Amino acid sequence: MSVQSLFIPYLAMSLAIMTSTALVEAQERTYDEAALRLESDLSGIRIVRGISDSVVLTAGMVKRSDVTRLVASSPNAVTQAKIFEANYRQGIWTGIAGLAVWAAVYGINHIGTNQPVTAPTTFVSIALVVYGTIRVDTAKRALSKAVWWYNRDLKV
Amino acid sequence: MKSKHLWALLLGASVPGVSANAQQASEHTAGSSATAAASSKTAATVAKAVVVPDSVRTADMQPLRFETSWGSADIIRGADGPVLGTVGWFRGFDVEKLVESSPHAVSEARRFQTDNFRGSLVSTIGAATVGIGILVAGSNANNASTPIIIIAGAGAVGWGLQHINNGYTALSKALWWYNRDQSH
Repeated sequence: MSVQSLFIPYLAMSLAIMTSTALVEAQERTYDEAALRLESDLSGIRIVRGISDSVVLTAGMVKRSDVTRLVASSPNAVTQAKIFEANYRQGIWTGIAGLAVWAAVYGINHIGTNQPVTAPTTFVSIALVVYGTIRVDTAKRALSKAVWWYNRDLKV
Repeated sequence: MKSKHLWALLLGASVPGVSANAQQASEHTAGSSATAAASSKTAATVAKAVVVPDSVRTADMQPLRFETSWGSADIIRGADGPVLGTVGWFRGFDVEKLVESSPHAVSEARRFQTDNFRGSLVSTIGAATVGIGILVAGSNANNASTPIIIIAGAGAVGWGLQHINNGYTALSKALWWYNRDQSH
């Protein structure tokens, strides 16, 4: 076996290793720059991108958030994003309605003669809050899956 | 003699890969490149060994995520994978141990555990106070202190929830870092 005959496999192997190294580095860069994660506070949910912590989307209770467009590159993520959008704000507003009903009745009952809040009112309020919370939970589960699928499809 | 040439060339072939990939992920990748190069002698096999397609990843390599529900969160591997543990509301699942392979993730997991405990404790006390206030408001013993009890309880719940949210933000970062370091 001559040195020349070894040179071609050597070149091919070097090229393959450099290509694979570049692929790994590109993958690393993609994840660092583009992978999403979720943050939340009392005002809502924030979707943060990459290692730089840049907020790309805020899902609050007033403004409609376009998560579907954000994760449009991943079909599975889009499916989950639609579930999120169908439930999140509706759930929050249902819960707020439950609290508002109780607070309104409490306020009205304290104008003039002091009346206690009736049990049915309290029951309705609790039911609305529970129903709202269930819908918000459904939305958050879907958003978690949407982000997971989006990040997964970044690497393919 | 010829075999010495061959081994020298194989060793030389692995050098560009190591030098080009000198960051954190390089140890694992270059190591597998060198192993693959030594065991097989074709370039196609080397490339195949380094870049593992997602479809052939084992269940243990799937990224982690979490889903919150009623103040707790399930840590799940994969889109519909197994629940590895539940955290929140005084649940004692050891997130630090789960993500111990990633130093960044470990420090975020510590932050999560601290914030989560504080938030759980204060919000529970606050919720109990609100509950007492509502009961008093609904009874005939209703008096002027009722709103104060409810407002104080709601304030404690708010403070606690803020800390719980901070905790989940830290958990999100922990899993993000863990998934990042696992994929390299």
